[in-house]
Amino acid sequence: MYSDLLHALPNVFALTNFAAVVIGVIAGIVVGAMPGLSATMAISVLVPFTFGLEPLVALGLMAGIYNGAMYGGAIPAVLLRIPGTPAAVATTFDGYPMAQKGQGGFALQVAVVSSSIGGIASAFALMLLAPPLSKVTLLFGPSEVFWVAVFGLASIIFLLGGNPVKGLISACFGVFVSVIGSDPIYGNDRFTFGQLEMLDGINIVILLVGLYALPPVIDLLETPLKTDGVNSSNLGTEPIWKALPRMKYWKTWIRGSLIGIWIGILPGAGGSMAAFMSYNEARRTSKHPETWGEGEPEGVAAAEVANNADTASALIPALTLGIPGTAVAAVMLGGLLVHGLQPGPMLFRDNPDIVFGFMWQFLFGAILLVLLGGSLATNSFARLLNLPRPLLGSVIIVLMLIGVYSIHGRMFDVYLMLGFGAIGWVMDRLKFPLPPVVLGLILGGFAEENLRLALRIGRGDPMILFQNTTSLILVALTIAVVVGPTLKKRFIDGRKEV
Amino acid sequence: MFNIFKTTALAGALALSAGAALADYPEKPIEVIVGYSAGGGTDVMARTAAPFIEKYLGDGASLVVKNMPGASGQIGVTEAANADPDGYTLGTFNLPGMMARTIDREAGYDRDSFTYLANVVNDPNVIVTSKNSGLDTLDKLLAEAKANPGAITVGMSSLGGDDHFALIKLQNATETEFTIVPFKGSAPARTALLGGHVAMGILNISEVAEFQDQLNVLGVATNERSTFAPDLPTFKEQGLDLVNGSMRGFIAPAGLPEDVQAKLLNAFSQLASDQEFLAAMAATANPVEVVTGDDFKQLTSDLYDLAKGVWETTPWN
Repeated sequence: MYSDLLHALPNVFALTNFAAVVIGVIAGIVVGAMPGLSATMAISVLVPFTFGLEPLVALGLMAGIYNGAMYGGAIPAVLLRIPGTPAAVATTFDGYPMAQKGQGGFALQVAVVSSSIGGIASAFALMLLAPPLSKVTLLFGPSEVFWVAVFGLASIIFLLGGNPVKGLISACFGVFVSVIGSDPIYGNDRFTFGQLEMLDGINIVILLVGLYALPPVIDLLETPLKTDGVNSSNLGTEPIWKALPRMKYWKTWIRGSLIGIWIGILPGAGGSMAAFMSYNEARRTSKHPETWGEGEPEGVAAAEVANNADTASALIPALTLGIPGTAVAAVMLGGLLVHGLQPGPMLFRDNPDIVFGFMWQFLFGAILLVLLGGSLATNSFARLLNLPRPLLGSVIIVLMLIGVYSIHGRMFDVYLMLGFGAIGWVMDRLKFPLPPVVLGLILGGFAEENLRLALRIGRGDPMILFQNTTSLILVALTIAVVVGPTLKKRFIDGRKEV
Repeated sequence: MFNIFKTTALAGALALSAGAALADYPEKPIEVIVGYSAGGGTDVMARTAAPFIEKYLGDGASLVVKNMPGASGQIGVTEAANADPDGYTLGTFNLPGMMARTIDREAGYDRDSFTYLANVVNDPNVIVTSKNSGLDTLDKLLAEAKANPGAITVGMSSLGGDDHFALIKLQNATETEFTIVPFKGSAPARTALLGGHVAMGILNISEVAEFQDQLNVLGVATNERSTFAPDLPTFKEQGLDLVNGSMRGFIAPAGLPEDVQAKLLNAFSQLASDQEFLAAMAATANPVEVVTGDDFKQLTSDLYDLAKGVWETTPWN
């Protein structure tokens, strides 16, 4: 297998194949940076065109876009508190405060270096460990996946800080949104009001754009004459080689990469859960957790390393089992199918040059990210913020409308997005956290579907949920997350009294 | 890339030579509505077939695939059913799903809404078991199902689809009872089988071809051995009358002008003997079985009756 890996390398450096990766990375960064446009969408638009392309050109574009977009999402997250992709939500926590303190340039550099490291780690996992890691995926049946989702929801509610009751309410709202659409087992309509458009449920991008992009835009337009002295004209950028020695986040990078790779090989959860978990873990083990959320560069590093570390690893179950770890991987599977590449154990044997070439392209995409992203982000995109506020707000609104409309090409989604925007604005004003809504939508449907499948497998007996070690470990982790903070507080208070 | 150029050039050349003899249709691009997103099985079928249909329609014909995903293909097929019947809007059609949806929900079309052009793909059902279930022959499976009714869990891609109908047929033919576990799609169902989380699965032959070493394939629900995987035995060979599958084809709205309908039928019927087309379909794991015109309509009608019968005795929602 490793000789196949080397054998595939020369072809990757063919001019057109390599150019595809470069173009893909640039396109991905741009797409990721625009609120409402996501990697999933960019690759779905690309798939029909790839019929006429050589496989490695098509796949190189996809690999580049995927890597680029995962970093691109961080740009508006840092500069405007608008995550460009669902996976960049956790990047706003410390990225935006950094921008407000005049360190926006450094935040973007931390983001691009961390993204790149995550991407490289993930590509190596895909290249060297795909077959053994796909065995790990097989351990996760419906009951185990149910517990992963519950664990993810518990983490986001209880570990994110702030008020857990408000977090719980936000998460419940997200879970409610996940219920809309056809029932995952029987296909009955739920809260669709007879609209065919609602039958597939609410697309995550519609919710994300509405909740996250509209309220900041309203803020921008509310005070049109106020200028952001600090945040817009001065990003505090210095050359990246000077910034690099200031980044000493090795522990966070390694931890975040492992978390990202692990989440990637589990079906369905994706980059946003990876970023949250990595952020939580990094903060929990930090020596100065009080600075987190106020502009801690390590927070940006934690989120960005993890959301890129799940890119290539999400392809492990996709290529070996046909089950995509993320929505983007699902679309990429379509791109592979177009070229007659059927996922499965035979894929690696039948088409080694293409499959391993694709893996190399992931690796080079991740490396190129630093070179291309470093210059693009700090120079071009930063200028965007020098625009007058009414103009900037209007441009973002236009991008949002185009992005949401182009998901399925229908106005219905645009109205939905505006509705979510109104809800998001109210929640923002009432200080309800928004991340649990996003994760609630992503994980809620997942938890429900797998719980019901597990119960069917157990023929109605709930003990099926506790029948093996993997499940029990996840249950223990969930309990630790829920009661951990309270116990810790008691312990510290107790010591103070003594 | 060159292949596409070649095909286009060929189509163009044919069009030039034959142009004078043909009537007007088609004088503008023909839209093919696919109810799923680009890169799915139905989309790949449409895009693979398009250049060949262009070739056989001649006259510089051009087919444009338009993806309208959503609601398991309902949005796209409803759009196609309600389009102007002028031959410039065609659609893809999936069986038994499209008919089952007219039974289990209110649909914006019925079986008389279409001009039936051609069914192109017939992907037969297979019964597979996980390696750790120990049920490596059909006899063992049926014996266990009879001994412990409902004890065998069956992973499949959805309720009210071809997998489900195959299981109903199996249960009726053998007087057995299984516990259905409907995943969202066949790949998760197959993964649960590989991991041993369910004992048995009903899938389609194209979905298990790559996994023959990891699963026990007990039989294929066809009359004769599938050319797609000729080493796999049919159920008929094992004394069980079970024939079922998932089908994909092309329709147009009902009421096409007769000359347009004749031209389209002629073009679609030539797919069956086009070696280049068959090779392209085989490369994308699509078992081909071309059924055109009235036979396709009859096929749809039969599947509707089957679904209706199942729905009346065991509704799935």
